[in-house]
Amino acid sequence: MGVTCVCQVPVAEGKSVQQTVDMLHKKLEQLGGVKQGNFWVDCETYHATANATGQQSKQLYVMHNSEAPLSCMALYEGGPHLTADANFDVLMVKLKSHFQNAKSHKVESRGARYRYCDFLVKVGTIAMSSSAKGISVEVEYCACVIPADCLNLIKEFMQSFLGSNAPEMPSNKTEGQLYTPVDCVDPMSQYLELFGKVRKQQVMTGSGVR
Amino acid sequence: MEAPPVSVMPVTGGAINMMEYLLQGSVLDQSLESLLHRLRGLCDDMEPESFADHELVYLLRGQQGNPFILRARRSLLQPTSPWHLRYLGQPEVGDKSRHALVRNCVDVAASHSLPDFLNEMGFRMDHEFAAKGHVFRKGQMKIVVSKLSRVLVPGNLENTEPLSLSYLVELSVLAPAGQDTVSEDMKSFAEQLKPLVHLEKIDPKRLM
Amino acid sequence: MADVMNVGVNLEAFSQAINAIQALRSSVTRVFDSLKDGMKNKETLEGREKVFMTDFQDNLQSVNRDLNELERLSTLVGRPSESHPLHNSGLLSLDPVQDKTPLYSQLLQAYKWSNKLQYHAGLASSLLNQQSLKRSANQMGTSAKRRPKVQPSTLVLPTQYVDDVISRIGRMFPDMSIELFRPNGTSAVLLVTLGKVLKAIVVMRSLFIDRTIVRGFHENLYMEDGKLDIWSKSNYQVFQKVTDHATTALLHYQLPQMPDVVVRSFMTWLRSYIKLFQTPCQRCGKYLQDGLPPTWRDFRTLEAFHDTCRQ
Repeated sequence: MGVTCVCQVPVAEGKSVQQTVDMLHKKLEQLGGVKQGNFWVDCETYHATANATGQQSKQLYVMHNSEAPLSCMALYEGGPHLTADANFDVLMVKLKSHFQNAKSHKVESRGARYRYCDFLVKVGTIAMSSSAKGISVEVEYCACVIPADCLNLIKEFMQSFLGSNAPEMPSNKTEGQLYTPVDCVDPMSQYLELFGKVRKQQVMTGSGVR
Repeated sequence: MEAPPVSVMPVTGGAINMMEYLLQGSVLDQSLESLLHRLRGLCDDMEPESFADHELVYLLRGQQGNPFILRARRSLLQPTSPWHLRYLGQPEVGDKSRHALVRNCVDVAASHSLPDFLNEMGFRMDHEFAAKGHVFRKGQMKIVVSKLSRVLVPGNLENTEPLSLSYLVELSVLAPAGQDTVSEDMKSFAEQLKPLVHLEKIDPKRLM
Repeated sequence: MADVMNVGVNLEAFSQAINAIQALRSSVTRVFDSLKDGMKNKETLEGREKVFMTDFQDNLQSVNRDLNELERLSTLVGRPSESHPLHNSGLLSLDPVQDKTPLYSQLLQAYKWSNKLQYHAGLASSLLNQQSLKRSANQMGTSAKRRPKVQPSTLVLPTQYVDDVISRIGRMFPDMSIELFRPNGTSAVLLVTLGKVLKAIVVMRSLFIDRTIVRGFHENLYMEDGKLDIWSKSNYQVFQKVTDHATTALLHYQLPQMPDVVVRSFMTWLRSYIKLFQTPCQRCGKYLQDGLPPTWRDFRTLEAFHDTCRQ
């Protein structure tokens, strides 16, 4: 559990998603990163079918992460979140008359996991309904738990293999979050934000990037 | 916190349909010691676990049909352990060949943000109570002897009042759907507890 | 071998004493011989008893006489072993088969060496004390003045004093919390928590730091049985490196006369890691080198450097 930064990397010009991912892998290996298995993160979206109070219903997201394969995380955008065991998925099935699973909205990111010193780097292909939509890069600095302490360090590291594509940080952190130890929710909410962005790009471009 | 279900199934994504087989009864406070004594003799050789739980019952009302009920339990003895969220389906009592009440059951361990999260989902707390007692185990059977108390001031567990002068006795097994043979075992175990306590399948609808 | 000469003065007495012992032994043997043989065959019972009695009396008298002679001689011999400078080990010199077991000469050699070592160590310690906090300074050894020997008294300090020193140091640094444990006997183990950056376990012997290990802020410090884990290293490379540097610092900060100053200097140095992840290297200006932040802190200026960027 360290400080995590998740960002989207644009597909290189004239390249496919897979080619860009391969390029990133190569850069990481040149740097000295060692491949350590695979990872996946997925996110399901649920709509409340009918709300007794009649207010605008928010979307409920249920996410899974291969780092914690027996858990699942339920969260509202900007709202409370819940960490539960995998049986929560069964419960959502029981709740189907109240919460409908928007199957077409399921987003996932799968890819390789690299270790470089105390960094954990995960390069994933973001897919919606089994077609690739983009590339996610997650960088975790495992040795530190205070985001404010190591933001510059992570930034420098990301620049070393993403070049100019390295994102500006911090994107979604308030002052308080910067100075308190991170929890396991933080990377997931970053993925949620990223998936939301990809979904919007999808709507805007129509067919989308390959 | 209730003891974990005895049959631990590898639930991946949780596609397995678990059923709870249940027999219930009650015993007067005076007879509690002799029942515990009998249970210590009959059950698996382990120290009987004591528990003190706080259960909150949440309802989610849809536009039509019955409200959806979820039970959230937390341990008062071990405040750091996770919350226990439980869904119980409609009980099936009709089948005479089955010796126990059968209902669908989903157990979820959840973080401490559970009450807030349920509120966000639209659930509203209906009622709460405290349960204190002992858990025994025999094979995959679980025997819970507990005293239920009313919470007089919402949220304040210091101030409770016993619901009755007796203890609730529940004999339950968690098994995948279709394993009706477990109810045979439960019946024979219940026989051995007579005449201290009569465990029966009780239709909750009859009581309403 | 002067000791042997001293004994030689009394050699005459020794040989006389040995003769006396022999005489005593033979007269005692005679007593028991006559007792064993019993009464000799004589005509009358009275005659037999008389002869036996006189024989027995004669024998006992000769024993008495020999014993007196021996006692007289033994005062001349004296008690050489007590006054020997090597105590009982000095008696090894009396071993006649010295060629086969040259223990005594070896012992003397070792003794000479240990004396020399103690003397030189005393000199070295007083020389080093002149170098403020610097053990590895080059300019030394010129003054051959002999200094009085230093007793290592700082190895034994009352626990109360150690507690006081540690708590005083703890109060000096608000961003650093120091907990003191005594898991085994009187030796203290300190658990130093530095901000939300790192935790260091410092094993003390009296007020000397024996060993230190640095782990991440969120890493486990206890073993399964709940005891403080003072052995296993951190899972993170950065803290393994910091542990190495901290061990170097332990060797650097040495002042045997004032161990509390050493502990304070070490803690001051350790505290400079509070910005471990936030400070770029003072030489190359970067945060990372080979995936590690600047893990070296200069002993004097406390400036941050990468391991390979320091001079």
